[in-house]
Amino acid sequence: MTKKKMKWFGMAMTGVLAFSLSACGGGGSTPTNNAGGDAGTADPAAASTDTKEPAAENITITFQNIYPDASDPKNQMMKKIVDQYQKDNPNVTIELDSLNTDQQKLKLKTQAASKEVPDITVVNPAAQMQPFVDADLFAPLNDMVEENGLKDTFQSGILDYYTFDNNLYALPDGNNIGVVYYNKKLMEQGGVEIPTTFEEMIEAIKTLKSKGIQPMVLGEKDTWTGSFLFMNILLRTNGGPGFLQDVLDGKKTFEDPAYVDAITAFQQLVDAGAFQDGATSFDYNAGENLFKTGTAAMYYMGSWATGGIETAEVSKDGNVGVFQFPTVNGKGNPDEFMLAPGSAFAISKDSKHLEETKAFLNYFMLNFPKEAFEAKGAVGIAQNVDGDFAAAGYSEMAMNVLDLFKKVQGGDLAFDNTMNPAVTQVHLSGTQSLFVEKKDAAAVAKELQAAYEENK
Amino acid sequence: MNVLKVSRWTIAAFILPCLIVYVGLVFIPILVSLYSGLLDWNGIGQSTFVGLDNYVKMFTRDAVFWPAVRRTFTLAGFSMLVQVPIALLVAVLITRFVRRPNFLVSSYFLPVILSVAIIGQLWKTIYNPASMGGMINQILTSVGLESWTHSWLTEPKIAIYAIILVSLWQYLGYHILIQFTGIQNIPSEIYEAAKIDGADGFKADRYITLPMVLPILKISIVLSFIGSLQSFDLIMVMTGGGPAHATEVLASHMYNMSFLTMQYGYGSAIANMLITICLIATVLINVLFTRLEKRYS
Repeated sequence: MTKKKMKWFGMAMTGVLAFSLSACGGGGSTPTNNAGGDAGTADPAAASTDTKEPAAENITITFQNIYPDASDPKNQMMKKIVDQYQKDNPNVTIELDSLNTDQQKLKLKTQAASKEVPDITVVNPAAQMQPFVDADLFAPLNDMVEENGLKDTFQSGILDYYTFDNNLYALPDGNNIGVVYYNKKLMEQGGVEIPTTFEEMIEAIKTLKSKGIQPMVLGEKDTWTGSFLFMNILLRTNGGPGFLQDVLDGKKTFEDPAYVDAITAFQQLVDAGAFQDGATSFDYNAGENLFKTGTAAMYYMGSWATGGIETAEVSKDGNVGVFQFPTVNGKGNPDEFMLAPGSAFAISKDSKHLEETKAFLNYFMLNFPKEAFEAKGAVGIAQNVDGDFAAAGYSEMAMNVLDLFKKVQGGDLAFDNTMNPAVTQVHLSGTQSLFVEKKDAAAVAKELQAAYEENK
Repeated sequence: MNVLKVSRWTIAAFILPCLIVYVGLVFIPILVSLYSGLLDWNGIGQSTFVGLDNYVKMFTRDAVFWPAVRRTFTLAGFSMLVQVPIALLVAVLITRFVRRPNFLVSSYFLPVILSVAIIGQLWKTIYNPASMGGMINQILTSVGLESWTHSWLTEPKIAIYAIILVSLWQYLGYHILIQFTGIQNIPSEIYEAAKIDGADGFKADRYITLPMVLPILKISIVLSFIGSLQSFDLIMVMTGGGPAHATEVLASHMYNMSFLTMQYGYGSAIANMLITICLIATVLINVLFTRLEKRYS
């Protein structure tokens, strides 16, 4: 009897052991593992070419990216370049880990906490990538960017946003500016001209509103949208760029008149009824869709929206135009823009195949502008493009945006690219509160200053 | 145990896999979280030990924390004091008056199996301003109650109640099902005996159904309380905690602090508070019901 029991017990324990071991095996495999378990789709191809190049070791590079949508030209572009590279280098398998932006941000944070950063990942510029750089997760790309003349393809100055202590850590895929898109038909119906000052803009909004036309739209549930617009106002009321840097340097505080004026101006927009009802419950896409479906006259956004708006119904017959954000209280220079250096590719310092990964990313970025140009996605990329946009069939609106790019005389980065995340959140919710509550501008500024001092 | 004739070892062996998973996924993370609540840590880089600083900050300087606690308890209160009694009432009525109750109970249960993301999007559209096709506002306008229309999800004072209503609506069916099953399990002989003694209708409910369904009611209340404390998904989908923190609850505040502002240590401290509140509340509810059950048995 007891023997039988012991036998059962032994079996149960073995089962437990097997279970726990297999659990460990699953969790412990690193993304760069080329044993084949997690790269089932691509491995056979690599294996079959084994005989041709016996010298080269078969490797797998994990490429985390934010182009998950197969209908997006960027996704197609990426796949094209990756396929070509795999053809040229049969021993290399590129494993794509395509996620949407928010998912990728979370996944990377989780991976970073356990030091399992994929070979190539995506980060945002300046202050947003600072914690990752401080944690020493990325490999410097100084030598890699010099190879094959890659550095010269980038627009001048753009790489500075990804450089810390003279080390370049990431290569951007985009470089955008804040512009106002407008619906020509609706502006005409409302009988308003393109505003050249903020005061004219407020008047235009009131006129449009009185004629039953929705003046502006914004997806403010995501909070950064309103902040981006707010920061453009601040860029004007401050008479130029650098306000946040001055705060960081201790030369100014958030209670400075420039910031308070910007809040007041923003409140004027809200009070004039600029934004759609319930703007704070619309997420970014829902807000943008209102403009794309032709329900609103104006839409302030980064130039990355150009592609989406271009292909939308509203753009038929060149119906959408763009203009620069106007001066506020007679201050500021319209040729200074909100600058949005894009998300960028970084390489994990602990990558098992560091050199191969660098070689691939070099190849990828070298081919990026050409492919983007052909896929009509070259408006707002971070690299110089050779080619005649008009001849290639880019729309009039895209050409207008490109013209604005030529006017850029500097500007500011978004709030979250300059300040740490804790201060950013206070700013974001403070700005969001302007949509729903009548608040004293000075009090909002004071609250932010307090948060800044707490989280310095 | 004597009946089953299995040794303690065998029992231990069969419990072990589940226990390992449970300890590994529940207790160890809680311990880790207790520790990281004492750190100043962004989740990635170096951490510094700050002792109870996070808790001091939480109790004294965090302007969002206490309102979030209040909202969490408001939600829990509505859930326990409104939702569960209504569920009990519906369950009693169904048992008494409906001959084939399964279809009705299943219908009430339907929202529970729908994904919260779908429910959130659905109600967002219902709550929309009339100009965006919001159903409630359009109905109000069409019956001449324009002054009652609101931008339900974006007015800070009412947004949280709008969300609470959705959450009550979604889980009502869940509690109806629990209560209904509980009532079904009461032997009918008791009612028949009571009928002979002259206790019928609501009198029978008062003296038979209520006391006998108490253990089930307790489960319902504990579930609804803990469920409310953990409510997160619906809020994320509908308002994201906004406008300006007006719909922030403990769980969403914890998430924002940990992942958006990258104050992982502080987020853990909030999580620990949440766990503590859950534990205390569960104990309290248990004590309360043990007394009630004693009184009725």
